[in-house]
Amino acid sequence: MSTVKVNFILNNKPVSLEVTPDCRVIDMLRENLDLTGTKMGCGEGDCGACTIIIDGKTANSCLVLAAQLDGKMVVTIEGLGSYDKLDALQQAFIDEGAVQCGFCTPGMLLSAKVLLDHNPTPSRQEIMQSISGNLCRCTGYAKIANAIEKACGK
Amino acid sequence: MAELSVVGKSVIRNDALDKVLGKTRYSADIKMPNMLHAKVLRSTVAHAFVKKLDVSQAAALPGVHAVLTAKDVPGLNGHGIIFKDEPVLISDKIRKIGDGLALVAAETEDIAQQALKLIEVELEEIPGVFDAIQAMDQDAPKVHGDSNILALRKILRGNVDEVFETADIVVENEYVTQMQEHAYIEPEAGIAYMEDDIVVVKASTQNTHFDCREIARNLALPQSRIRMIQAPTGGGFGGKLDISVQIYLALLALNTRRPVKLVYSREESIITSSKRHPCVIKYKTAADKTGKLLAVDVHAVADTGAYSSYGPAPVTRLAVHAAGPYEVPNVRIYAYTVYTNNPTAGAMRGFGVPQIAFAYEQQMDMLAEKAGISPLEIRLRNTLKNGSLTSTGQVMDVKGNIGDTLVPAYEKVMANKSQLLAPYKKRGIGMGCLYYGIGNTGQPNPAGAFLDVMEDGSAHLMVGAADIGQGSNTILAQIAAEELGLDFNDIKVTSADTGVTPDGGASSASRQTYISGNATLKAAKIVKEILVNEIAAWQRVLPEAIALKNKYVFIHSKQTDIAVAQLIARCRGKGIMTIGHGWYNPTTEPLDDETGQGKPYEVYSFASHVAEVEVDTQTGQVEVVRIAAAHDVGKAVNPLHVEGQIEGGTIMGVGYGLYEEIKIANGNIRTPSFATYIIPTSMDIPIVDTIIVEENANTGPFGAKGLGEPPLVAPAAAIANAVSQAIGVRINSLPLTPEKVLKALQEAGRI
Repeated sequence: MSTVKVNFILNNKPVSLEVTPDCRVIDMLRENLDLTGTKMGCGEGDCGACTIIIDGKTANSCLVLAAQLDGKMVVTIEGLGSYDKLDALQQAFIDEGAVQCGFCTPGMLLSAKVLLDHNPTPSRQEIMQSISGNLCRCTGYAKIANAIEKACGK
Repeated sequence: MAELSVVGKSVIRNDALDKVLGKTRYSADIKMPNMLHAKVLRSTVAHAFVKKLDVSQAAALPGVHAVLTAKDVPGLNGHGIIFKDEPVLISDKIRKIGDGLALVAAETEDIAQQALKLIEVELEEIPGVFDAIQAMDQDAPKVHGDSNILALRKILRGNVDEVFETADIVVENEYVTQMQEHAYIEPEAGIAYMEDDIVVVKASTQNTHFDCREIARNLALPQSRIRMIQAPTGGGFGGKLDISVQIYLALLALNTRRPVKLVYSREESIITSSKRHPCVIKYKTAADKTGKLLAVDVHAVADTGAYSSYGPAPVTRLAVHAAGPYEVPNVRIYAYTVYTNNPTAGAMRGFGVPQIAFAYEQQMDMLAEKAGISPLEIRLRNTLKNGSLTSTGQVMDVKGNIGDTLVPAYEKVMANKSQLLAPYKKRGIGMGCLYYGIGNTGQPNPAGAFLDVMEDGSAHLMVGAADIGQGSNTILAQIAAEELGLDFNDIKVTSADTGVTPDGGASSASRQTYISGNATLKAAKIVKEILVNEIAAWQRVLPEAIALKNKYVFIHSKQTDIAVAQLIARCRGKGIMTIGHGWYNPTTEPLDDETGQGKPYEVYSFASHVAEVEVDTQTGQVEVVRIAAAHDVGKAVNPLHVEGQIEGGTIMGVGYGLYEEIKIANGNIRTPSFATYIIPTSMDIPIVDTIIVEENANTGPFGAKGLGEPPLVAPAAAIANAVSQAIGVRINSLPLTPEKVLKALQEAGRI
């Protein structure tokens, strides 16, 4: 199969890749770039485990083709924070017990990140709406919402 | 008890940092050089004989390195937690959709997928049986052997017939419960590779030592030649107790001598994994006119699907808990586990008890109404308490009773009762109570722990218990740290790796805090005794005067300047090894085959949920407004984790009560995705009020009991009772969908 060239900014660094036209963003991240923090829970856009940020909006990376990223700004969980410098959301998830099995956590964090970037003082309802596309089977969501509230200083 | 330093504190779980950074490598994230990709050819029909299975074209496809069928299984071609009735690969008869027929390992997933299409299969379809009650007929098609009845658990006490003849109040109903999917967000996955002559399998699992035994038997190799390692696991809830990818991977790695990875799709996960048993329960209760329970007569049929899996065990647990947390002098419980050609039902959080709680708790409300007392009063009047006999004749050794959890939960909801807005909406409050035996039912179920306490005051704890997200690695480290007087962060845990850790048994039955916790405590006590004897001799005091706490030695309750690390180094310097091991097996007595009498569990957890619901009588929609969940956990080793378990389990129970349902037609799952199988989202959750009750168990580590499953047992029952109070009609079938609510309202002439 022929390939297409795609140039985009990934976690603040320029990336240039040759991808097949049918390559999904999730496969490009996990297979070509070994960024396995983006998880695949369903591959059908139902669970939100593969959530990433594209141009400031959340997206299910299993439903976007890699070629569509050309010229975009992309953030994955690997770009949110590091061991030395955790994002406030990551610290809050740790402190508030928002992590159990952890499989939904990267996607959940990025959905929350987009919320707080656009709305630094969300209501509880707005928090719940922001993560409504991210399924979690362990926590029952309350501790995740508590963590997001804590991260925005509530 | 002396004040505790680490146990009882909400320390931060030891895997949280990697998880929030996306650094945790789950099975699907692991890559190895030279790695092959596996795919499984699965049956799309439910019941058939295999007439031909020709893999020659698939094997000839460039890039394909192995195509394996049943004849390539060197050892026993069967596995299963209780009975080995599930073939690794089908050789003759297909019994359900999703049965594995052949394995492919190829250079890429695409090539493996192409190869599957080249396998020639000829089948002779035969009639199947898809209803458990029909399957009990002698004339029904047989799934295995000459009867579809896999097991019958009887529990018999007293004289039930006599009581029903004379009782003031009799309530009799039939209840139907649905099949539930675990819906862990991580689908099953794993990788296997050869390390010299050892087959190493790393996979998402709840029980490495069981997996190892199965693989060894199938591969006809000693268990020591198999190393089963649990990869970080994205949830389990009972669904990862069965074998999924493990044996396939081991076969392919052994055959190709290359690393092989297998990752299930969501659809493959839902189609192949075990489920919660759907049940039909006939329930009859007798009480005197004051509402005091006299007898229960229960007949339950559970559809266990095509293979036994854990099958008879949840059904046994259902039977043992069938009378609920109440004193009932006369019981007759018959619980059947029945094969069909449906998806396999096995272990799921709650293990049969959510089904029976839906029945016994609605019975309680109906009895209360007839006796003219409140739902609260009838439960308090009948509660099991110290000295009570259970259905199995076990004498309860407890400090409290159901009121310790029920009353605070009830008060919480009553204090927050909200006002109705629309006249077509009705509100109601309902309750669900339970007791729950910790550990396997009347069977040995030990767990072990190894502990190596090192010169610098850090320690390595090795436990077989699989941490599947519930946090056992954190809890067990807290227990070890507390006993040794070290910090939580001083304890490094390795878990669930048959090459390193002792057998911990399954992460199931709410057992790891209690059983692996006790094993860990024993290992720590051995090391502590070494340390205490050394310091006592050194300081010329009696060992009884010594305490180890907050990293320092205390003598006569006074802190010294001797650090625990210094004491460890002193021992090591003298050639005294500061290592320990421990194992714990709860004392139980097996249930008698005929009467079901015995001592199934060493300890019981108690819990009560009280729900407030709002029913829209125009649409039939039920909304849970609030649910108070009070749990007696003995001792909350980590209160934040306890809350997490209660909140998560409660929400899973709300989903079970309101909408979760695996729909099947002729063995075919019609809901094989998260678009069709609906689990609660953040927009669907009620307020959950968590109430932790701590009635220390004498036998538990620092008083702790178990907690994983109880939160899922009562929500559906409490919601059903609340709906009944709201609209005045009963719904005896789960889930409580809008269609059922509207139908019930129409039949009652309420709309």
